Amino acid sequence: MITVENLKKEYKLVKRDPGLKGAIKSLFNRKYETKHAVKGIDFSIEQGETVGYIGANGAGKSTTIKMLTGILTPTSGKVTVNGLVPYENRQKNAVNIGVVFGQRTQLFWDIPVRESYNLLKHIYEIPEHEYEETIGMFTEVLNLEPLLGIPVRQLSLGQKMRCELAAAFLHRPSVVYLDEPTIGLDIAVKVKIRKFIKEMNQRWGTTVLLTTHDMQDIEEICDRIIIIDGGTILYDGGLDEIKKQFGQKRVIHFELADKEKFVLPASLDGQVELLPNEEETKVSLSFDHETVKSSFVISEMMSMYEIGDLNIADPKIETIVEELYNKQEQGGKHEEILANS
Amino acid sequence: MRRYTRLYWEFAKSHMKVMMEYRIDFLIGVFSVMLEQFASIFFVKVVFDHIEQINGWSFYEILFIYGIAATGRSIHQIFFDNLWTLGWQYIRPGKLDRLLIRPVNPLFHVVADRLHQDGFGQLIIGLIILGTAIPQLDLVWGAAEIGMLVIMIISSGLIFVAINLFFATFSFWMIDSLPIVWAVFNMSDFARYPLTIYHKGIRMFLTWVVPYGFTAFYPAAYFIDKSGYKEFALWTPVAAIVCCVIAYAFWNRGLKAFASTGS
Repeated sequence: MITVENLKKEYKLVKRDPGLKGAIKSLFNRKYETKHAVKGIDFSIEQGETVGYIGANGAGKSTTIKMLTGILTPTSGKVTVNGLVPYENRQKNAVNIGVVFGQRTQLFWDIPVRESYNLLKHIYEIPEHEYEETIGMFTEVLNLEPLLGIPVRQLSLGQKMRCELAAAFLHRPSVVYLDEPTIGLDIAVKVKIRKFIKEMNQRWGTTVLLTTHDMQDIEEICDRIIIIDGGTILYDGGLDEIKKQFGQKRVIHFELADKEKFVLPASLDGQVELLPNEEETKVSLSFDHETVKSSFVISEMMSMYEIGDLNIADPKIETIVEELYNKQEQGGKHEEILANS
Repeated sequence: MRRYTRLYWEFAKSHMKVMMEYRIDFLIGVFSVMLEQFASIFFVKVVFDHIEQINGWSFYEILFIYGIAATGRSIHQIFFDNLWTLGWQYIRPGKLDRLLIRPVNPLFHVVADRLHQDGFGQLIIGLIILGTAIPQLDLVWGAAEIGMLVIMIISSGLIFVAINLFFATFSFWMIDSLPIVWAVFNMSDFARYPLTIYHKGIRMFLTWVVPYGFTAFYPAAYFIDKSGYKEFALWTPVAAIVCCVIAYAFWNRGLKAFASTGS
């Protein structure tokens, strides 16, 4: 239902020398720099899939989503959503999509939430009975009842996000784009939001494309992930596979009295990898949880060095991305990395 | 068209609910605009207390021109005031994206997002001025004249809208064109006086370049025989339509440029 072929987006940026002098100079003599935000990506998503679209800040996620929603026209390449080209048929495409931008509100700022929904009902021409049914259900699942009479600007971030989500699903779109929907929220609201997204996906078969920095979001909502970095796709596949490969990675940070003297204990050699750590007193060790136990690594370290403190880190999406990226740089392609797992 | 009319009504209803909720704000807004307008009319009155005519124009004739400008401008202010905010409210904070992912015309959405209370003050003032000036003019008013006056006022409003839209559209390239919009809008003050009192260059400018002349002087001239512009005044509705078409085409170009660069 979503197909993306060789999609590219370049921005032209004005290049400026630093300082006031540079600013004045650029007024008269502009030099442009081309930024390749998205460098030719391909993927396709079937109806009902839940896809996590992840990558570091500036990787090209938002640019892709803007092109998928029709806000931005690509430099080259092609996108179709439900058979429509979004940036050519923006309004027609808009009927079938729902969007949440975590950092901005879609609701009407000054008017109560209920009025906002009423306006959306008219904008999307939702039949009255369908609207009543949907609102009734959302009110229950997201616990919106106490919020409906309040103007959006008076809501807390968590309250706003719940209202926002309901607004995105209100017209029962076939695909929903969620750009960091859980950013800045407390854990209770996060749980509620994840549950809601999952339920909508199951009930209506809504296709979900989600960007986030929270690994937990991905694990609970998505079946598939696409990892993008520097405008190219590093990985596209099942969540299970990547978890099997990278999710077992553990990293332990040790605080040592004397880092200078540190060498990897012989007993850990070959099984544990020393990660670069810029802090003066800390070393970080990475290993596969399946073959080496954390307790073993810790006891070996403690028998050899004086350990001030230690900290076992969860595998983060960023570390997975970084690892994928490093491996790719070392000459292997990402397909090969997966083949080796 | 019917869909948009209904949709506009829904938007307007919720704005009015908000306005009624903040009744004091509403009254202050209306009142302050009326005060501002009274002040400038008072100034004209003071001038005419000392001289009888300006270049052959009497006080009530000038008041009549003034009235058409005020009423026309109120249409713009009540319904299209949001165009002012295109840069700093929509493009700079990225709120325009929100409108682009909805199945409605984005210009309609920007316009419908606001109903400006101060405009009602402008409307009341405009009608009071017209009501004061008209009985003093040497004119017989029949249904045809009233119909023509309504057409002229609507045309005047549309020209205000078109000029604002045109210059607000620059925001797509420069983030916020408010200073330009503001500078251009201030020129409309010239058009509230008979254009014949100005130098020819200014007259040409206000007729053919930034056609504010059609917001007050020309429409009023239709009703005043000695103006010498009675026939030319008939072009007012045509000018309004042409301006709107040009401004809308330019808006669409801006929107397209926006879609290829983003904010």
